Amino acid sequence: MKMNATLDRRELLKLSALAGAAAVAASRAGVAAPVAPSGVTAANPDAGIKWDKAPCRFCGTGCHVRVGVKEDRVVAIEGEPLAEVNKGLLCVKGYHVGLALYGRDRLTHPMLRKNGKMERVSWEEAVDVVAKRVLAAPDKFAIYGSGQWTIPEGYVANKLMKAGLSNNHIEPNARLCMASAVTGFLSVYGVDEPAGAYDDLDHCDVLILWGNNMAEMHPVLFSRVIDRRARGGKVKIIDLGTRRTRSSEFADHYLEFKPNGDLAIANGIAHLLIKNGTYDKAFVEQHCNFRQDKTAASLNGESMTFEEYKMALAPFTPEHVAELSGVPAEQIHMLADLFGRRDLHITSTWCMGFNQHNRATDINRLCHSIHLLSGHFGKPGDAPTSLTGQPSACGTAREVGTMCHFLPGGRLVENAEHRAEAEQLWNVPAGRLKPKMGYHTVLMWEKFCTPTNQGGDISTIWVQVTNPGQSLPNLHKLFQAKKGLEDKFLIVSDVYPTATTELADLVLPSAMWVEKNGLYGNSERRTQQWFKMVNPPGEARDDAWQNLAVARRLHDLGHPGLKDKDGKFLFTFQDDAGKEVPVWEWPRYYEMNVDKVLFEDYRRFSRVKHKDLAPYDEYVKARGLRWPVVQQADGTWRETRFRFAEFDDPYVKKGAGVQFYHSSTKDDRAQVWFAPYTPPAEVPDADYPFWLCTGRVLEHWHTGTMTMRIPQLHGAVPYAYVEMHAADAEDRDIGNGDSVLVKTRRGELRLPVWVNGRSRPPRGSLFIPFFDERLLCNLLTLEVTCPISKEPDYKKCAATVVKAGPQAGKVGSI
Amino acid sequence: MKLNESCSRREWLAEVFQPWKRQRAEGVQGRQAMPVTVPPASAVAAAPDPPVARVAVIQGRFCVALTSFCAVCVERCPVPGALQITRGMPSVVADKCTGCGVCFDVCPAPRKAVLMLPLAGRLGAGPVTNMNR
Ligand code: SF4
Ligand code: SF4
Ligand code: SF4
Repeated sequence: MKMNATLDRRELLKLSALAGAAAVAASRAGVAAPVAPSGVTAANPDAGIKWDKAPCRFCGTGCHVRVGVKEDRVVAIEGEPLAEVNKGLLCVKGYHVGLALYGRDRLTHPMLRKNGKMERVSWEEAVDVVAKRVLAAPDKFAIYGSGQWTIPEGYVANKLMKAGLSNNHIEPNARLCMASAVTGFLSVYGVDEPAGAYDDLDHCDVLILWGNNMAEMHPVLFSRVIDRRARGGKVKIIDLGTRRTRSSEFADHYLEFKPNGDLAIANGIAHLLIKNGTYDKAFVEQHCNFRQDKTAASLNGESMTFEEYKMALAPFTPEHVAELSGVPAEQIHMLADLFGRRDLHITSTWCMGFNQHNRATDINRLCHSIHLLSGHFGKPGDAPTSLTGQPSACGTAREVGTMCHFLPGGRLVENAEHRAEAEQLWNVPAGRLKPKMGYHTVLMWEKFCTPTNQGGDISTIWVQVTNPGQSLPNLHKLFQAKKGLEDKFLIVSDVYPTATTELADLVLPSAMWVEKNGLYGNSERRTQQWFKMVNPPGEARDDAWQNLAVARRLHDLGHPGLKDKDGKFLFTFQDDAGKEVPVWEWPRYYEMNVDKVLFEDYRRFSRVKHKDLAPYDEYVKARGLRWPVVQQADGTWRETRFRFAEFDDPYVKKGAGVQFYHSSTKDDRAQVWFAPYTPPAEVPDADYPFWLCTGRVLEHWHTGTMTMRIPQLHGAVPYAYVEMHAADAEDRDIGNGDSVLVKTRRGELRLPVWVNGRSRPPRGSLFIPFFDERLLCNLLTLEVTCPISKEPDYKKCAATVVKAGPQAGKVGSI
Repeated sequence: MKLNESCSRREWLAEVFQPWKRQRAEGVQGRQAMPVTVPPASAVAAAPDPPVARVAVIQGRFCVALTSFCAVCVERCPVPGALQITRGMPSVVADKCTGCGVCFDVCPAPRKAVLMLPLAGRLGAGPVTNMNR
């Protein structure tokens, strides 16, 4: 049995069938198993296949896969046993990641809108169009990228904009997902990104999921925890959420709170820790200051005394918290008692539940604060850890600083010293970098969708590796309003037609994943590298190349910003022999490793905030390394698992135990924050009596542009639906599968209802997944943002449901 | 967790799915199938069903739930009680299964973990070899 199970499992891992839709259809009739292309069968699994490593293209967990290539095609995927993150396991998406390349409608030629119709154009012409749009109005040009940009791609775009065009209007879609975690980390520790690592999941006694459906969103991480139980390990899982999810099914305690009740719960825990004297006095005295936003919301707030902190928490008695949050007082006691125990290790995780929140920075701060207050910090298993949704939200958006207010390595646009450092590293004249922040995502799109004569001062946006036409909130206002604005120009680099390319004026076909070299950085500060393994289809080309080609064209057309202090082109590439290679000429792009040059250039920025990266070649050997990666006396490079803790972080002073060496108060202390309970921005009323929450499902990744083209995943969850409580459905005479209209103040959407389905919203709540381009739930969502992070709240707004008839309309027709 | 410890997953799955079972039993109206009004593309493109009565069988060793999380077949089976979670893994209650093949269509495992077998003894059951067409 033992032997067989292992063999079968290995076979399963090997045979991540990259069979197309035809094979699936053909096998429907019975036992005929789908056969991978190129004759890869169970009996002959390795015939002529070349294997190499790559991180999974999908989520922020950052599992490593082994990619099998034959005849210029990815033919097999298996979990990488050498990878610490996933140890050979994958989730259902990961097994099929290779098929993401082979949807039938890959974009293969540049297309330009001429007289309202999209027509094929040459790359030459396409690059020219982009460059001329930039030259025509350099200050009204913006780049909108993503946490799926590889690190070198984000770096090129960032340098092109900030150092080349003196323009800070560059944003990643991470503004919609991680911006609040960033402001949380910055305001508490003075430096971004988690102190802990996934190792905490192997050591914690208690895991608290704060609005975090890890079983679906980070499945391989969750299986790491669940697997501990199998080996006799005891780990208590507490799920705090606004609806029952797959993760709740595994939880020892499920605490259901009303939207924004999390703010009250965190304060309630702090209140009891202080009241019962169970907070960690020694830790707090040595390592913490207290802070709050006294008047306006700001990143660093004002200091407060411990006495003031106590006073501020006084109203948050368990009874009051119960009233605000809906979680019974004894459960608040239970949580506070756990935090009060020194003999337990507690790990908290969160993702979009905290970050997409009208008080997102506050709830991030409060979660860090209860960990600091109770000393559950800086030991394996004791960590407040935010998870990312995108594979390189940390690596590209946050570390490379592709946001409108960041410079690479954690520097700020508005800080004169930081600008001077960046100007020096980039060898551009002093004053080249603009001191004013660019527009954050919501503002950028609002300006783009506003007529020029009414203050809409963004005229061209170049979208790269993301799909704002589906993922922006309040789509009518922030995206679809572009229609009919003749002087606005939308450029989209992507691999498939999307909701965004629909409104594009110029579409550029991109290479994806293992069709190009790349580096990603996952949720636990792990930088991961891969090589190009197959050629992209048609004329699709690397995003980094696209940026370089446009930069070069701007240079040739005489834009002065594309030259450095010495009059040389901003981007120069020398091969190993020291010979300059004009990589902006596509046939020459792969004559050398452009990624390596860009990464080494970028790496120089990483040390100021102790986010030290190793040389490129170290990542080639490793299955990812977690920064700071520090060179040892013997020349080897050592990664850091636990930051700020002396036992593991080389930057902590000997004898300090814990040291917050980037403290915003410059005294090596972290900030414990008080933040009040604040109600949601839009609350249900008589006209719109339901809460509406949006999110993901296990089988689909974000806007579904890749996973909806993978037959197995498309078949598993073919279209979006709305989940509601059975009693609410009954009240409205709605049956399972009925078609309903969900309406908010911003739009309406017709969807089938799923009652008692995968997740179970409480009475008065609805849930809609956002993966389906035919059923855009973001027509309904609210664009209200956290005042500090400027990240929108996709998780709660007011909605109503009306029965629309027995048929679900045309959904499912794709 | 080492590779060769995978065999323990069955045991832990039995343990971890305990709360799930409890929740299902307590559900307001029990589990409901995901509303599929239009069959998935794979089914549309397929040849017509063979004229034999069939029954679904789950091949546990190919099932994604063995190493990760999946319950798509259970969610989508239109017959209440025909697909159950037993010790963490889905299994078919042959008496209730109508052989409709939905679970086969929707199973997203790299190798289909669902097998449609002819049901010997039922009206129209054909020889096993017919299934290999
Ligand atoms: S958990 Fe995320 S990274 Fe890992 S296989 Fe699944 S989608 Fe890929
Ligand atoms: S064949 Fe149909 S009835 Fe039988 S288990 Fe599968 S989905 Fe359910
Ligand atoms: S759908 Fe397939 S992989 Fe998923 S639980 Fe059912 S049999 Fe297993």
